[in-house]
Amino acid sequence: MDAKVDKDPIYSGWEDLYRDKWQWDEVYWGSHCVDCYPGSCPMRVYVKDGIVWREEQAGSFNTIEEGVPDFNPMGCQKGASWSQSLYGPDRLLYPLKRVGERGEGKWNRVSWDDALDDIAESMLDAIEEFGPHTVIHEGTPEYATVHPTNKFFGTIGGGDIDLNGSINDFSIGLYETFGKFSPVSSADDWFHSEVILIWHMNPVFTRIPFYHFIAEARYNGCQVINISPDINPSHLHADIQVPINGATDPAFGISMVQVILEEGIADYDFMREQTDLGYLVRTDTRRYLRETDVTGEGREDQMYQWDPASGLKLADRADMRLNGLQIALEGTFDVKLADGSTVQVRPALVALKEHLDAKYTPEQQQEITGVHPDTIRLIARMVAAKRTNIMLGYNACKFYHGDLIERAMCLLLGVTGNWGKQGTGIRCWASGMHEGQFIAIEKPAPGAQAASMVIAAREAQFQEFMDKDPSATLEIAIRDSQRLGEGAEQPLAAIPALFWYNHCGYGERWNTPGWGDDSLPRGFQEYMDEAMEAGWWKRPPVDPPRVLIECGGNMLRRTRGGKTALLDTLWPKLKKIVTIDFRISQTALYADYVLPAAQHYEKIGFSIPTPHVLNLNLSDKAADSPGEARSEWNIFYHLLKKFVKKAKERGIEEYDLHTGDKRVIGELLSRFTMGGYYEDEDGNMDEEKINDEGVRDSVLCGTLPMGTNLESLRENGPARFVDFGVTGMGSAQASPIEKDKTHVPFRNHTEGGDPFPTYARRAQFYIDHEWFLEAEEHLPTHKPNPMAGGDYPIGITSGHNRWSIHAMNQANEVILGTHRGEPNVMINPDDAKARGIGDDELIRVFNDVGEFKVRTKIAPNVKPGQLISYNGWAGFQYTEWSGENETEPGMVKWIGFAGGYGHLNYFPIEWQPVPVSRWTRCDYEKVEEAL
Amino acid sequence: MNAATEKHQIAWVVDLNKCIGCQTCSVACKVLWTRDDSEKAQWWCSVNTQPGEGTPRGWENMGGGYDADGKLSPGKTPTPEDFGGGFDFNHEEVFYGGSAGKKHLEPQAPREGRWAMNWDEDQGAGEWPNSYYFYMPRLCNHCTKPACVEACPSKAMYKRDDGLVLRDEDVCKGSKDCMAACPYKKIYFNEEKNVAQHCIGCFPRIEAGVAPACVRQCPGRAVFIGWLDEAGSPVNRLVHEHKIALPLHPEYGTRPNVYYIPPLSPHPLNEDMSINTDKSRIPPEYLEGLFGPDVHVALKTLQSEMDKRREGKESDLMKTLIAYKWEELLGPFTADPALINAAD
Repeated sequence: MDAKVDKDPIYSGWEDLYRDKWQWDEVYWGSHCVDCYPGSCPMRVYVKDGIVWREEQAGSFNTIEEGVPDFNPMGCQKGASWSQSLYGPDRLLYPLKRVGERGEGKWNRVSWDDALDDIAESMLDAIEEFGPHTVIHEGTPEYATVHPTNKFFGTIGGGDIDLNGSINDFSIGLYETFGKFSPVSSADDWFHSEVILIWHMNPVFTRIPFYHFIAEARYNGCQVINISPDINPSHLHADIQVPINGATDPAFGISMVQVILEEGIADYDFMREQTDLGYLVRTDTRRYLRETDVTGEGREDQMYQWDPASGLKLADRADMRLNGLQIALEGTFDVKLADGSTVQVRPALVALKEHLDAKYTPEQQQEITGVHPDTIRLIARMVAAKRTNIMLGYNACKFYHGDLIERAMCLLLGVTGNWGKQGTGIRCWASGMHEGQFIAIEKPAPGAQAASMVIAAREAQFQEFMDKDPSATLEIAIRDSQRLGEGAEQPLAAIPALFWYNHCGYGERWNTPGWGDDSLPRGFQEYMDEAMEAGWWKRPPVDPPRVLIECGGNMLRRTRGGKTALLDTLWPKLKKIVTIDFRISQTALYADYVLPAAQHYEKIGFSIPTPHVLNLNLSDKAADSPGEARSEWNIFYHLLKKFVKKAKERGIEEYDLHTGDKRVIGELLSRFTMGGYYEDEDGNMDEEKINDEGVRDSVLCGTLPMGTNLESLRENGPARFVDFGVTGMGSAQASPIEKDKTHVPFRNHTEGGDPFPTYARRAQFYIDHEWFLEAEEHLPTHKPNPMAGGDYPIGITSGHNRWSIHAMNQANEVILGTHRGEPNVMINPDDAKARGIGDDELIRVFNDVGEFKVRTKIAPNVKPGQLISYNGWAGFQYTEWSGENETEPGMVKWIGFAGGYGHLNYFPIEWQPVPVSRWTRCDYEKVEEAL
Repeated sequence: MNAATEKHQIAWVVDLNKCIGCQTCSVACKVLWTRDDSEKAQWWCSVNTQPGEGTPRGWENMGGGYDADGKLSPGKTPTPEDFGGGFDFNHEEVFYGGSAGKKHLEPQAPREGRWAMNWDEDQGAGEWPNSYYFYMPRLCNHCTKPACVEACPSKAMYKRDDGLVLRDEDVCKGSKDCMAACPYKKIYFNEEKNVAQHCIGCFPRIEAGVAPACVRQCPGRAVFIGWLDEAGSPVNRLVHEHKIALPLHPEYGTRPNVYYIPPLSPHPLNEDMSINTDKSRIPPEYLEGLFGPDVHVALKTLQSEMDKRREGKESDLMKTLIAYKWEELLGPFTADPALINAAD
C-alpha cells in the first residue's frame, strides 16, 4: 500500500480550508544559534508572505553507522515553536533608552544614531578615565553573537569575562583527572552502551533530541540506571532507580570502586597503562616518588612505576603503553634516594584501597548515601563486566564538592576499562571544529592564502612546544600554547571569581564560616592570598568597570547572587549598561539602553558545532527582521563607527591597553572589517562574505570536507565534520572522526598510548599538590556538602527545565501554554503539609543570603528535605523580579585557586575557581495572599 | 460510515517507553493548526503525566462513548474551565509599564480553579522513594466507531476513506454533542466561530504522503503511523502480531486507532531501601485501568523480549521498536515536506 490518499470528492470543499493553511512560499535551512548545547538541530524554515510561518525538523540525517539508529528527527518543542517568538510580545523592535531610575521599567524609543552616539561617548569616557579594560562584556556561548562580540571587544581592547567561569559548566573533576574536561561521545554512540548510568543529568529534560538513543540502547540490551535524590523524570525509562541522599555521590561512586577492587574484578591492565594508580607514592611524605628524589636531578614531574623483574621504572611520559609489562599494583618497596636516605614507596592503588577499605565499604557508604549495599554491589559488578557510559550533565560541577563527585565517576570508569571504546566514557561539553570562523575574522587579508599563513603559523607554534618537550603530543602542545598564549594575559575581567571579589563584594560571602569547607586548616582568604602570592594568578587591575555591554549574556539572571549581589555593588560603578538582545531579558530591565538584535532565521548563523552531532548546521537568513532590529555584526560595526568618529572629535588618536599594547583609532575600522573587505556597498557588514569565508577556512583547516562553502550548505544541508582540528577542545577528543562510525573520545590514549595532558601524564587519580594533600583530597574521597546559605533544613537542587533554553524562549506564549505559565518550585508533600502549604500556593523561600517568592508544585517524586527549582525562568516572571539566584551565595571551592602543578594552572574556560549553587540551604513558608 | 473504512484505517502506535513528555508533538500541532486567537486554548495533541487529572481536567470521569449494548452513553461536555489554559499574559505592563518590579509576567486569569493543558506535569502518584508517573500523549483517536459522528445532529461529521474522522466546519452548528459523546474528550469548542474543532490527522500532509506533525516531529521517535490493515507494517505487527500496542480505555467502545505500548518501570524499593524485584513501580492495576486486562501480557512480552537482548539473543520485536531507520516509524508517509511545493 502506498501513501496516496485521494481527496474525498464530497467534502473536499471545506477541507480546502486546511489544505490552504498548509502552504508556503519558500523553504530555508535553519537552526537555533543560541546556547542550546549540544543543539545543532537541522530545521527547515517555512516562509509565507515574507514572514517566517513555522519551522519543522529537517529529518535530513543519513545513517552514520550500520546497525545504529540515525539522528532523525532532531529537535524539541522549543525549536518547533521558535518562530513564534519572532513576532511575539517579548520581541524587541526598536532601540530603547531608560527614563527614570534603572529598573523602573520606563523607556523611550530612540534612534539608532542617538543610542550609539551616547554609548560611544561613554566608552570614550571610560577609556579616558582608566583605559579600555573598563569597558567589559560577559562571554557568551551563543554562537551567532560570539564572533561579532569578540571581534568588537578584541578591536577596541575591552575586557572579557570568562564565560565558563561565570556559568560553571566546568566539570572540574574531569579536568583534574584527565587534564581536560571536554571528552564527548557522539550521541549515537550511546546506543553501543551495555550499561548507562544517568548520574547528575536529567536527559528526559535536557537531551530531548538525543534521548531516543538511550531508549533504543535499552531495547538493544542496555541496562539503564538513574541516580538522583528525587525520582526525576529520567527514572521513567530506567531499569534501576537509585534515590540517593543529596550531594553524597562521591561516597556512592567510590564505594562501587571498593567493591570492584575487593572482588578483584577490575581491569588491571587498563589501570596500569591508562592511570597513575601504578605510580609509586612515598609513605613518608604521601607525595609521588620523583626523578628529582631519586637522582637529585631531572624532572620534578617524572614519576616511577615498579617492574617486578627489575624494580624502579621511569613512567614513560610520552607513551602510556606497557606492552604487557605487569607493573606492580600492590606491595611496598624500599627505594634509595639521591640524598642517601631510604624511603618506602607503594603504588598509588595501595593507598587508594587502604582509603576505601577503611571508610567506604558498601555498608559504610549507606550511612552517608542511603543507598542499600546490595545495590552498590549489583551496579559495581555490572559496570565491571560491561561497556559502561556515565551520562553526566553540567550539574555535578555546580556542587561545592562537584570535583569529588566527578573524580569518583572517573575512577569507577578507570578501574573498569571504560573509556576509549564505543559505548563507554563520560562527558562534559566541547565545541571547536568550525575553526575557520575564527580565522576568517582574524586573518590579515581575505582568501585562502592569508588563511593558510595563519594555519601554518599556528602549526609552527605547536611544533615549537613539541620541540621544547619531546614527550608532548600535538594535543599537549596545543593546550600549552593556549595556556601560555592567550591564557597568560588575564585582563581585568577574565577570571570571574576575581572580578566578583574585586568589584562585587563576594569576598564577604566566601569568608562566611560554614558556607565553605570548614574542615580545611585555613580559611578562604588565606588560600586565595597564597595563590596570588605564589604567582599562580596575576592580580588584575582593580579599576572599576565603567561600561557593560551584554550581548548573548544576561548577568542578572545568570550570576549566582543576582540582583542582591550586583545591584548595590557593581551597578553603581557602571556608567553605562547596554544590552543587545532580541528580547527583553532580566538584565535588559536594569540597563540604560536596550538594542534590538536580529533573531535566528533573520541572519546567517550556525548552531554550536559539537562532537555530540559532528555537523555544521547553517541557519540561513529566511526573512527580514521586524521593526529596526539589526544583526549583532551590524550593531557592533555601527557602534565602532560612532566610537571612531567621537574619538576623533575628542582629538584622541590612540590609547593604551593595560597589557602594554595600544590601539590606534585610525586603524580600528579596518581591523574590524578586514581592510574593508567585509563591508558591503551600503556601509553594512557583509555577512554573506564573513560566513562563506569562515566555512572555506574550515575546509583549509581540514575540519570540513573539500568543496564545502555557504552555497553547498544551502544546497545539501548540514556538512559532517571530517576532523577535530587543532582547537583545544577539538584535539581533546583524542580520536579520529570516522565517517561510518559513532565517535568515542580517547582512542588515541587507549589505542595509541598518547599521554593525557595532566601533570602525571596519565589519568590522574592521585593529586599530590600540597593543597590537595592538606585538604585530604589527594585521592578521590567523600566530603559533606557545606551549609552554604546558613543552617537550614532544606536543600535546593536545580537543573535545566524542560521548557526553555535558559530564559531565552520563556516568554514565548506557545511554550507558556505547555505548563502553568509561571515559575514554580517542586516540594515534597510531607514537607508541604508540615508547613501548611498547598499546591500552587505562594511561598517565600529564604536563607541568610536572600529570598524569593514562588508558587508551589507538590509532587511525591521530590525527596523529603529537597526543593527543586528548575533553572531557566526569567527574573521578571517572579514577584519583585527576584528569582532563585537571589538566595545563592555563589561560593567557590577554594581548591580552584590551586596552581603551579602541571594542568592545575590557570587555563581560560578550563581551570579557575568557579561558583557553585546546588544544595544551597534554605527554608520556606507560606505567604498569606489577599483574595 | 461505509464498510471500506473498517478495512482501511490510519493508526498511530505510541511507545510510552520512549515518550519523554517533551510536548514537541503538542507544540508542532499547535504551531501548524491552532494559532488563531480563537484557538488559543486548543491543543489537539497534548501530553499528560499519568496518573493525573490531565486535560480536560478529570476527562476520564466525563462519560461518553458506548454502553455495553452499543448505544451512545451520556457524557459531559467539557467546559473551557475544564480545559483551562489559553492564558493572556501581561508582557506590556511588565516590560514597559514602569512597575519597577511591582508587576511580574504571569497569566491573567483567576487563580481559583485555574487549570491548563499540562497543569499537573510531573506530579504523579505514590510516595517517595516509590513515587511513579509516566507521560501519555493524546490526540483524536480517529475511532473506527466514532461516537462523535453518531452524535452529531447536523451530520457535519464523517469518517474518510483513510479512516480519519473530520467535521465539516461549514456544516457544524455548534451543538457540542460531539464533545459530550467523545469519551476521550479530545474535542474543543471555538466560541468565536461557533464550531467544534479537533485533530484533523494532518490530512493535507497525509494526502501529500507526509506524516502528521505529531509523528514526524517527535524527537523521541516514540510514534509509529501506518495502515493498520497493511500486513507486515510496524503498526499492524505491534497491534496484531506482537499484541503489545493496546487501545486506551477499550471499554469506551469506540474502537480507537491510537494504540499505546504500555510503560515498564524500575522496581520499587523495600523499607530498607533494597530493590524489590518482585514488583513494578507503576501498579499493574493502574495500567489495567487504562489499557484493559491485555496490558499484563503486553508488559510481560516486552520485558521478556528485552531480556533476550540482554542475553545476546535476537529479538524481532526489539528491532521493530528500535526502528534503526527513522522512516520505519513513518509508514508510507515518508515524503519530506520541504521538498514538496505545497503551493502547486
